[in-house]
Amino acid sequence: MGFVKRQKEERADVNERVYERNCDGFSAQLKDPDPAVRRWAARDIVECPGASTVLLERLEKEEAIEVRQAIFTSLINIGDRDAITGLVECLRSEDAALRNEAIEAMKQLPEGVSAIIKELLKDDDPDVRIFAVNILEALSHPDVEEWLIDVIESDSHVNVCATAVDLLAEIGTEKSLNSLDKLRTRFSSEPYIQFAVNIAIERITNGQYHDK
Amino acid sequence: MKRILVIDDAATVRMYHKSILRSEGYEVEEAINGIEAIEKALNGHFDIYIVDINMPKLDGYGFLKELRTLEIPQAPAIMVSTESDDTDKKKAFTCGANYYLVKPVKPEQLATIVKLLIRGE
Repeated sequence: MGFVKRQKEERADVNERVYERNCDGFSAQLKDPDPAVRRWAARDIVECPGASTVLLERLEKEEAIEVRQAIFTSLINIGDRDAITGLVECLRSEDAALRNEAIEAMKQLPEGVSAIIKELLKDDDPDVRIFAVNILEALSHPDVEEWLIDVIESDSHVNVCATAVDLLAEIGTEKSLNSLDKLRTRFSSEPYIQFAVNIAIERITNGQYHDK
Repeated sequence: MKRILVIDDAATVRMYHKSILRSEGYEVEEAINGIEAIEKALNGHFDIYIVDINMPKLDGYGFLKELRTLEIPQAPAIMVSTESDDTDKKKAFTCGANYYLVKPVKPEQLATIVKLLIRGE
Protein backbone atom coordinates (compact mmCIF):
# COMPACT_ATOMS: atom_id res chain seq x y z
CA MET A 1 0.00 0.00 0.00
CA GLY A 2 2.95 2.29 0.67
CA PHE A 3 3.83 2.19 -3.01
CA VAL A 4 0.29 3.22 -4.02
CA LYS A 5 0.40 6.09 -1.56
CA ARG A 6 3.74 7.28 -2.93
CA GLN A 7 2.38 7.18 -6.49
CA LYS A 8 -0.54 9.33 -5.42
CA GLU A 9 1.81 11.80 -3.76
CA GLU A 10 4.01 11.94 -6.88
CA ARG A 11 0.97 12.53 -9.07
CA ALA A 12 -0.23 15.24 -6.67
CA ASP A 13 3.12 17.01 -7.09
CA VAL A 14 2.67 16.91 -10.83
CA ASN A 15 -0.87 18.24 -10.57
CA GLU A 16 0.34 21.19 -8.56
CA ARG A 17 2.07 22.42 -11.70
CA VAL A 18 0.33 24.54 -14.27
CA TYR A 19 -0.97 21.67 -16.41
CA GLU A 20 -4.67 21.07 -17.00
CA ARG A 21 -5.84 17.46 -16.53
CA ASN A 22 -6.92 17.20 -20.14
CA CYS A 23 -5.38 16.18 -23.47
CA ASP A 24 -3.79 19.57 -24.14
CA GLY A 25 -2.38 19.55 -20.63
CA PHE A 26 -0.90 16.06 -21.04
CA SER A 27 0.71 17.10 -24.37
CA ALA A 28 2.29 20.12 -22.68
CA GLN A 29 3.33 17.97 -19.70
CA LEU A 30 5.24 15.67 -22.11
CA LYS A 31 7.67 18.56 -22.73
CA ASP A 32 8.27 19.33 -19.04
CA PRO A 33 11.96 19.37 -18.02
CA ASP A 34 11.24 16.92 -15.18
CA PRO A 35 11.28 13.26 -16.38
CA ALA A 36 8.82 12.24 -13.62
CA VAL A 37 6.28 14.72 -15.01
CA ARG A 38 6.84 13.50 -18.57
CA ARG A 39 6.46 9.88 -17.46
CA TRP A 40 3.05 10.58 -15.90
CA ALA A 41 1.99 12.46 -19.03
CA ALA A 42 3.03 9.50 -21.21
CA ARG A 43 0.72 7.29 -19.16
CA ASP A 44 -2.18 9.72 -18.80
CA ILE A 45 -2.40 10.68 -22.47
CA VAL A 46 -3.41 7.17 -23.62
CA GLU A 47 -7.16 7.96 -23.96
CA CYS A 48 -6.61 11.17 -25.92
CA PRO A 49 -7.30 11.34 -29.67
CA GLY A 50 -4.05 11.34 -31.67
CA ALA A 51 -2.07 10.23 -28.60
CA SER A 52 0.15 7.90 -30.65
CA THR A 53 1.41 10.75 -32.82
CA VAL A 54 2.17 12.95 -29.80
CA LEU A 55 3.96 10.11 -28.01
CA LEU A 56 6.01 9.21 -31.09
CA GLU A 57 7.07 12.83 -31.55
CA ARG A 58 8.26 12.87 -27.95
CA LEU A 59 10.02 9.52 -28.37
CA GLU A 60 12.28 10.99 -31.08
CA LYS A 61 13.96 13.29 -28.57
CA GLU A 62 13.30 11.56 -25.27
CA GLU A 63 16.46 10.44 -23.48
CA ALA A 64 15.17 9.42 -20.03
CA ILE A 65 14.85 5.63 -19.93
CA GLU A 66 11.84 5.65 -17.61
CA VAL A 67 9.94 8.06 -19.89
CA ARG A 68 10.82 6.03 -22.99
CA GLN A 69 9.53 2.91 -21.24
CA ALA A 70 6.29 4.68 -20.33
CA ILE A 71 5.90 5.88 -23.93
CA PHE A 72 6.39 2.35 -25.29
CA THR A 73 3.92 0.93 -22.75
CA SER A 74 1.33 3.52 -23.80
CA LEU A 75 1.93 2.85 -27.51
CA ILE A 76 1.38 -0.87 -26.83
CA ASN A 77 -1.83 -0.07 -24.91
CA ILE A 78 -3.10 2.17 -27.73
CA GLY A 79 -1.95 -0.25 -30.47
CA ASP A 80 -3.60 1.72 -33.28
CA ARG A 81 -2.34 2.10 -36.85
CA ASP A 82 -0.42 5.29 -35.99
CA ALA A 83 1.34 3.53 -33.10
CA ILE A 84 2.37 0.64 -35.34
CA THR A 85 3.49 2.92 -38.18
CA GLY A 86 5.58 4.91 -35.71
CA LEU A 87 7.13 1.75 -34.29
CA VAL A 88 8.06 0.66 -37.82
CA GLU A 89 9.85 3.99 -38.30
CA CYS A 90 11.78 3.33 -35.06
CA LEU A 91 13.17 0.18 -36.74
CA ARG A 92 14.94 2.50 -39.19
CA SER A 93 16.57 4.53 -36.40
CA GLU A 94 20.34 4.80 -35.92
CA ASP A 95 19.69 4.30 -32.19
CA ALA A 96 20.11 0.57 -31.42
CA ALA A 97 18.31 0.85 -28.09
CA LEU A 98 15.32 2.52 -29.75
CA ARG A 99 15.24 -0.17 -32.45
CA ASN A 100 15.31 -2.93 -29.86
CA GLU A 101 12.62 -1.27 -27.75
CA ALA A 102 10.46 -0.97 -30.89
CA ILE A 103 11.00 -4.66 -31.71
CA GLU A 104 9.97 -5.66 -28.19
CA ALA A 105 6.89 -3.39 -28.38
CA MET A 106 5.87 -4.78 -31.77
CA LYS A 107 6.13 -8.31 -30.39
CA GLN A 108 3.38 -7.32 -27.99
CA LEU A 109 1.05 -6.15 -30.77
CA PRO A 110 0.54 -9.41 -32.68
CA GLU A 111 -2.76 -8.48 -34.32
CA GLY A 112 -1.72 -5.10 -35.71
CA VAL A 113 1.77 -6.24 -36.65
CA SER A 114 0.53 -9.38 -38.44
CA ALA A 115 -1.36 -7.12 -40.82
CA ILE A 116 1.83 -5.39 -42.00
CA ILE A 117 4.49 -8.04 -41.46
CA LYS A 118 4.51 -9.25 -45.08
CA GLU A 119 5.22 -5.68 -46.16
CA LEU A 120 8.09 -5.43 -43.64
CA LEU A 121 9.55 -8.73 -44.82
CA LYS A 122 9.80 -7.19 -48.32
CA ASP A 123 11.16 -3.80 -47.16
CA ASP A 124 14.02 -2.34 -49.21
CA ASP A 125 16.23 -2.11 -46.13
CA PRO A 126 17.71 -5.53 -45.18
CA ASP A 127 18.04 -4.42 -41.55
CA VAL A 128 14.29 -3.83 -41.39
CA ARG A 129 13.72 -7.28 -42.92
CA ILE A 130 15.99 -8.78 -40.22
CA PHE A 131 14.02 -6.98 -37.49
CA ALA A 132 10.76 -8.20 -39.08
CA VAL A 133 12.03 -11.78 -38.79
CA ASN A 134 12.97 -11.09 -35.14
CA ILE A 135 9.41 -9.89 -34.52
CA LEU A 136 7.92 -13.03 -36.10
CA GLU A 137 9.36 -15.02 -33.20
CA ALA A 138 6.66 -13.67 -30.91
CA LEU A 139 3.69 -13.40 -33.24
CA SER A 140 2.22 -16.89 -32.69
CA HIS A 141 0.53 -16.53 -36.07
CA PRO A 142 -0.35 -19.70 -38.03
CA ASP A 143 1.50 -18.39 -41.12
CA VAL A 144 4.86 -17.67 -39.43
CA GLU A 145 6.55 -20.76 -40.83
CA GLU A 146 5.21 -20.02 -44.35
CA TRP A 147 6.57 -16.48 -44.14
CA LEU A 148 9.96 -17.77 -43.03
CA ILE A 149 10.03 -20.30 -45.86
CA ASP A 150 9.28 -17.49 -48.29
CA VAL A 151 12.19 -15.48 -46.83
CA ILE A 152 14.73 -18.28 -47.19
CA GLU A 153 13.53 -19.05 -50.71
CA SER A 154 13.44 -15.51 -52.06
CA ASP A 155 15.53 -13.06 -50.01
CA SER A 156 18.94 -12.37 -51.55
CA HIS A 157 20.53 -11.00 -48.35
CA VAL A 158 22.53 -13.58 -46.43
CA ASN A 159 21.85 -12.08 -42.99
CA VAL A 160 18.09 -11.92 -43.56
CA CYS A 161 18.14 -15.61 -44.53
CA ALA A 162 20.43 -16.43 -41.60
CA THR A 163 18.03 -14.79 -39.14
CA ALA A 164 15.11 -16.71 -40.69
CA VAL A 165 17.03 -19.99 -40.38
CA ASP A 166 17.74 -19.24 -36.70
CA LEU A 167 14.00 -18.95 -36.11
CA LEU A 168 13.16 -21.99 -38.21
CA ALA A 169 15.53 -23.96 -35.96
CA GLU A 170 13.14 -23.11 -33.14
CA ILE A 171 9.70 -23.29 -34.74
CA GLY A 172 10.21 -25.05 -38.09
CA THR A 173 8.55 -28.31 -39.07
CA GLU A 174 9.14 -30.83 -41.84
CA LYS A 175 7.50 -28.35 -44.23
CA SER A 176 10.72 -26.27 -44.08
CA LEU A 177 13.20 -29.06 -44.82
CA ASN A 178 13.20 -28.78 -48.60
CA SER A 179 13.64 -24.98 -48.56
CA LEU A 180 16.41 -25.25 -45.97
CA ASP A 181 18.22 -27.70 -48.19
CA LYS A 182 17.90 -25.34 -51.18
CA LEU A 183 19.23 -22.45 -49.09
CA ARG A 184 22.31 -24.50 -48.22
CA THR A 185 22.98 -24.82 -51.95
CA ARG A 186 22.21 -21.15 -52.70
CA PHE A 187 24.73 -19.97 -50.07
CA SER A 188 27.20 -22.82 -50.47
CA SER A 189 30.21 -20.58 -49.74
CA GLU A 190 28.80 -19.19 -46.46
CA PRO A 191 29.97 -21.31 -43.51
CA TYR A 192 27.41 -19.74 -41.17
CA ILE A 193 24.49 -20.69 -43.42
CA GLN A 194 25.86 -24.25 -43.70
CA PHE A 195 26.13 -24.47 -39.91
CA ALA A 196 22.73 -22.89 -39.19
CA VAL A 197 20.90 -24.99 -41.79
CA ASN A 198 22.44 -28.16 -40.34
CA ILE A 199 21.31 -27.13 -36.86
CA ALA A 200 17.80 -26.31 -38.09
CA ILE A 201 17.45 -29.59 -40.00
CA GLU A 202 18.78 -31.55 -37.02
CA ARG A 203 16.37 -29.74 -34.70
CA ILE A 204 13.39 -30.32 -36.99
CA THR A 205 14.31 -33.96 -37.57
CA ASN A 206 15.32 -34.86 -34.02
CA GLY A 207 13.30 -32.31 -32.10
CA GLN A 208 16.08 -30.74 -30.09
CA TYR A 209 19.22 -28.62 -30.19
CA HIS A 210 22.56 -30.37 -29.92
CA ASP A 211 25.25 -28.09 -28.56
CA LYS A 212 28.21 -28.59 -30.88
CA MET B 1 43.06 -21.87 -20.99
CA LYS B 2 41.85 -18.50 -22.34
CA ARG B 3 38.19 -17.74 -21.67
CA ILE B 4 35.82 -16.06 -24.09
CA LEU B 5 32.31 -14.74 -23.48
CA VAL B 6 30.02 -14.88 -26.53
CA ILE B 7 27.05 -12.52 -26.19
CA ASP B 8 24.23 -12.88 -28.71
CA ASP B 9 20.47 -13.38 -28.43
CA ALA B 10 20.43 -15.89 -31.32
CA ALA B 11 21.12 -19.42 -30.07
CA THR B 12 22.48 -20.62 -33.41
CA VAL B 13 24.97 -17.73 -33.61
CA ARG B 14 26.22 -18.51 -30.11
CA MET B 15 26.61 -22.17 -31.04
CA TYR B 16 28.47 -21.24 -34.23
CA HIS B 17 30.94 -18.94 -32.49
CA LYS B 18 31.37 -21.45 -29.69
CA SER B 19 32.14 -24.28 -32.11
CA ILE B 20 34.79 -22.18 -33.92
CA LEU B 21 36.43 -20.99 -30.71
CA ARG B 22 36.37 -24.36 -28.97
CA SER B 23 38.09 -25.93 -31.96
CA GLU B 24 40.85 -23.31 -31.44
CA GLY B 25 41.26 -24.46 -27.83
CA TYR B 26 39.39 -21.69 -26.00
CA GLU B 27 36.94 -22.10 -23.15
CA VAL B 28 33.68 -20.43 -24.15
CA GLU B 29 30.78 -19.13 -22.10
CA GLU B 30 27.57 -17.63 -23.44
CA ALA B 31 25.20 -14.80 -22.53
CA ILE B 32 21.90 -14.03 -24.24
CA ASN B 33 21.90 -10.26 -23.69
CA GLY B 34 23.94 -7.42 -22.20
CA ILE B 35 22.46 -7.76 -18.73
CA GLU B 36 23.42 -11.42 -18.45
CA ALA B 37 26.85 -10.59 -19.88
CA ILE B 38 27.50 -7.93 -17.24
CA GLU B 39 26.61 -10.43 -14.50
CA LYS B 40 29.02 -12.99 -16.01
CA ALA B 41 31.77 -10.39 -16.40
CA LEU B 42 31.42 -9.45 -12.73
CA ASN B 43 31.58 -13.07 -11.62
CA GLY B 44 34.36 -14.47 -13.78
CA HIS B 45 37.40 -13.42 -15.78
CA PHE B 46 37.25 -13.34 -19.58
CA ASP B 47 40.09 -12.74 -22.02
CA ILE B 48 37.82 -11.62 -24.88
CA TYR B 49 34.19 -10.57 -25.30
CA ILE B 50 32.39 -11.26 -28.59
CA VAL B 51 29.39 -8.96 -28.65
CA ASP B 52 26.31 -8.69 -30.89
CA ILE B 53 24.74 -5.21 -31.27
CA ASN B 54 20.99 -5.82 -31.46
CA MET B 55 19.85 -7.64 -28.35
CA PRO B 56 16.84 -7.17 -26.08
CA LYS B 57 17.12 -5.71 -22.56
CA LEU B 58 20.65 -4.31 -23.03
CA ASP B 59 22.18 -4.04 -26.50
CA GLY B 60 25.83 -4.48 -27.40
CA TYR B 61 26.65 -0.77 -27.18
CA GLY B 62 25.03 -0.53 -23.75
CA PHE B 63 26.92 -3.62 -22.59
CA LEU B 64 30.29 -2.24 -23.71
CA LYS B 65 29.70 1.17 -22.14
CA GLU B 66 28.75 -0.50 -18.85
CA LEU B 67 31.61 -3.01 -19.05
CA ARG B 68 34.21 -0.28 -19.51
CA THR B 69 33.08 1.42 -16.28
CA LEU B 70 33.42 -1.74 -14.19
CA GLU B 71 36.34 -2.06 -11.83
CA ILE B 72 37.41 -5.44 -13.15
CA PRO B 73 40.40 -6.44 -15.29
CA GLN B 74 39.40 -5.22 -18.76
CA ALA B 75 39.64 -7.40 -21.87
CA PRO B 76 39.30 -6.68 -25.59
CA ALA B 77 35.86 -6.83 -27.20
CA ILE B 78 34.92 -7.75 -30.76
CA MET B 79 31.63 -6.28 -31.92
CA VAL B 80 29.87 -8.60 -34.37
CA SER B 81 26.85 -7.33 -36.23
CA THR B 82 24.76 -7.43 -39.39
CA GLU B 83 25.17 -3.64 -39.55
CA SER B 84 27.93 -2.68 -41.96
CA ASP B 85 27.51 1.14 -41.79
CA ASP B 86 30.45 3.30 -40.77
CA THR B 87 28.17 4.91 -38.17
CA ASP B 88 27.76 1.59 -36.38
CA LYS B 89 31.48 0.88 -36.52
CA LYS B 90 32.36 4.32 -35.13
CA LYS B 91 29.80 3.94 -32.38
CA ALA B 92 31.18 0.50 -31.51
CA PHE B 93 34.72 1.88 -31.13
CA THR B 94 33.45 4.87 -29.12
CA CYS B 95 31.70 2.47 -26.74
CA GLY B 96 34.90 0.49 -26.19
CA ALA B 97 35.09 -2.15 -28.91
CA ASN B 98 38.55 -3.18 -30.15
CA TYR B 99 37.44 -4.74 -33.42
CA TYR B 100 34.33 -4.83 -35.58
CA LEU B 101 33.22 -7.81 -37.66
CA VAL B 102 30.24 -7.93 -40.02
CA LYS B 103 28.07 -11.06 -39.93
CA PRO B 104 28.17 -13.72 -41.20
CA VAL B 105 31.64 -14.26 -39.81
CA LYS B 106 34.02 -16.69 -41.48
CA PRO B 107 35.60 -19.17 -39.01
CA GLU B 108 39.21 -18.35 -39.95
CA GLN B 109 38.48 -14.62 -39.69
CA LEU B 110 37.12 -14.94 -36.15
CA ALA B 111 39.92 -17.28 -35.07
CA THR B 112 42.61 -14.92 -36.42
CA ILE B 113 41.20 -11.77 -34.81
CA VAL B 114 40.74 -13.50 -31.47
CA LYS B 115 44.31 -14.80 -31.58
CA LEU B 116 45.70 -11.34 -32.39
CA LEU B 117 43.71 -9.58 -29.69
CA ILE B 118 44.66 -12.15 -27.07
CA ARG B 119 48.32 -11.62 -27.97
CA GLY B 120 47.69 -7.89 -27.55
CA GLU B 121 48.40 -7.03 -31.18
